[in-house]
Amino acid sequence: MTDQVFAWLDERLDLSGLRAFIAAKSVPRHRHSVWYYMGGITLFLVGVQVATGILLLLYYRPSAAEAYESVQFIVSQVEFGWLIRNLHSWSANLLILMAFVHLFSTFFLRAYRKPRELTWITGVLLLFIMMGFGFSGYLLPWNELAFFATKVGTGIAGAVPVIGDFLVRFLRGGDEVTGATLTRFYGIHVAILPAITTVLLGLHLLLIQRQGMSVPPSVEKREKAGEKIPQEPFFPNYVLHDVMWWYVALAVLAALALFLPWELGKKADAFAPVPAGIRPEWYFLAMFQTLKLIPSHIGPFEGEVLGVMAFTVAAVLLLLVPFLDRGAARGQSSRIFTVAGVLAAIYLIVFTIYGYFAA
Amino acid sequence: MVAVRCTFTAPAAAQTAAVTECENCHRGQSDARLSTPSRDFALTDVHRDRGFSCVNCHGGNANEPDKVKAKAPSTGFKGKPAGQMVIAVCAQCHSDGTLMRKFAPKQRIDQAAEYATSVHGHQLAKGDTKVATCVSCHGAHGVRLVGDAQSPVYVLNVATTCSKCHSDAERMKGYKLPDGTPLPTDQRAKYDTSVHHAAMVKRNDLSAPTCNDCHGNHGAAPPGVGAIANVCGTCHSAFATKFALSSHNQIFDRSCVECHSNHAIAKPSDAMLGTDKAALCVSCHSEGDNGHQAAGAMRGGIEKLKAAIAHSESVVAAAENAGMDMGGQMLALREAGNHLTLARTEMHAFDPKPVDAVLQEGLAITAKIDADGGAALAEVSYRRTGLAVSLGAILLVVVALRLKINSLKPPAA
Repeated sequence: MTDQVFAWLDERLDLSGLRAFIAAKSVPRHRHSVWYYMGGITLFLVGVQVATGILLLLYYRPSAAEAYESVQFIVSQVEFGWLIRNLHSWSANLLILMAFVHLFSTFFLRAYRKPRELTWITGVLLLFIMMGFGFSGYLLPWNELAFFATKVGTGIAGAVPVIGDFLVRFLRGGDEVTGATLTRFYGIHVAILPAITTVLLGLHLLLIQRQGMSVPPSVEKREKAGEKIPQEPFFPNYVLHDVMWWYVALAVLAALALFLPWELGKKADAFAPVPAGIRPEWYFLAMFQTLKLIPSHIGPFEGEVLGVMAFTVAAVLLLLVPFLDRGAARGQSSRIFTVAGVLAAIYLIVFTIYGYFAA
Repeated sequence: MVAVRCTFTAPAAAQTAAVTECENCHRGQSDARLSTPSRDFALTDVHRDRGFSCVNCHGGNANEPDKVKAKAPSTGFKGKPAGQMVIAVCAQCHSDGTLMRKFAPKQRIDQAAEYATSVHGHQLAKGDTKVATCVSCHGAHGVRLVGDAQSPVYVLNVATTCSKCHSDAERMKGYKLPDGTPLPTDQRAKYDTSVHHAAMVKRNDLSAPTCNDCHGNHGAAPPGVGAIANVCGTCHSAFATKFALSSHNQIFDRSCVECHSNHAIAKPSDAMLGTDKAALCVSCHSEGDNGHQAAGAMRGGIEKLKAAIAHSESVVAAAENAGMDMGGQMLALREAGNHLTLARTEMHAFDPKPVDAVLQEGLAITAKIDADGGAALAEVSYRRTGLAVSLGAILLVVVALRLKINSLKPPAA
């Protein structure tokens, strides 16, 4: 019966070709291979987000009057609603964490070098999109902390030269954070960003399949010297490894969802005093804390404007890394890029922890 | 009064009065008694701001630089008003509805009539010139609006203004209460310890009562024996209504004051009710009598609801800490608290039955909260068990996958 179904589909879709591709596909195995699975875990968490997000959509209502109550209903009345909401919230955070780990591992293994520049660019753009998901999703429960954090967060966009005011109004759907902002963020969160993600993620995965796994320059050097680098079959070996890591991620996620349930907090009230401890999600803390530490004026410039400009330049430089690190394409490891990567990682970790405790 | 009417000409519109010859002359006087009033009046005075000048109260000719001519009998000069003359001078405007409408249309015009009914007014009528008149409280020169925070009769300053005389033992010597005992001078000291003073000064609640809220202002007098519950009831209406239904209403001469005192009203507590030594009830009731039993029953019921609320709070907190949404139960807890307040109010009728009815409703609410909280905690336990099983299954799959991977052929070089 199975053979008959396969034969029927094969006749129409040429599945034998795909099967032959998968059977022939192999993945290099070396001492840095473990980092290959970080991308897989990130992809798995994207899947968790899509699945849990769709389930939340069934009950969530995107208006200032009903958003909080609908989330409250989900976690208290809907069967397993608490689990879905907790999984969605925790998975979002783990996803961004894993995306950062994936980015840094790719960076240090020089996986961005020719011919994989586009894979790097789509990956960095996906990281930005994931942070956008986090920023827009944070407001959706319409609770006090998210409301004021969004007020601060969108206010920072006002520091962008020339288009700052426009950006603030564009993000908020007005001059202030209101129900219009919530509706706008909802649209961004469930329609615009998923559409962009689908395109970028499809391209990212397609490029990986087309170009295969990159090996670090040190391994490549050995390969060029004539050494045979061990290869493991993509199926079933690599896929089983990947699935095993997905299960590990699922176990971590389930444990977090149960033992550290995501709090809903108080309903947002625009007229309430700003509560203590307002801070953004952890992945924005380093930037937030940096902006707080920059003096209000540096020479003739506003400190906040300079800070925002610096982050914009850093983001552009990150995107252009494959083109800046010309040595990597020739198989040479650049000390400057290694040092820059280490410093960036240290900065992000230290300032995130500092921001967490300072707030 | 005839002279006053003859010389009085009110300004037509509200505008600051020009400097008069009276002020020019008095400001230069070396005797502070003569110069200070002129300077105070020039600095700030609600009357001056509205175009009134010295002659409106004192008579005389404000345009005459020669002091003898300025104070000639033909000018209606009165000098410094004292005693009843103060009341008459102020009343010439403040009791004139037509005139007051031009300057303060909402202001009452019965201050002089009220004053005549006050203890101050009665004493003044008897010839006692030590008692307070208008200027004793409002000032004579530099008079400010009542709502001005620097006015001596601004709500926060009233107690200080009254106590200038009433805390002065020497001044109060000879005055007696209706029962013949000497008028005490510790009212201010006692008021400073009261819950009313704390509300006003510490919580900035300007609606909290000060002296004039219970005694009246222009008609100041101690509330009569039968009027205390009415006075307290102007704010504490629910308690006054319940008290009016009680048997104590017939027995307590000083109604509310019997238990709560007057100037040194402390924050009420449940300890005031009951049959233990600290309770006020036992000062009249002894073991075995109906009142004693009623006090014990009401206090016991209130303590039972308090304990039930405390227990429900701990259940709700435990469920919330475990991540359960207890918003509805938090609201119910407030409702149970409301029933506790209601029972404390109902208690002022001193009848255990209605108190018990309210308490039972409160206990029913806490029982429902406990049931919901218990169910929430059971759900937490169910989730944890479910997760432990799921985690076990997931880890089994991880181990199985690892074993399967190990069994596969090693990577080929």
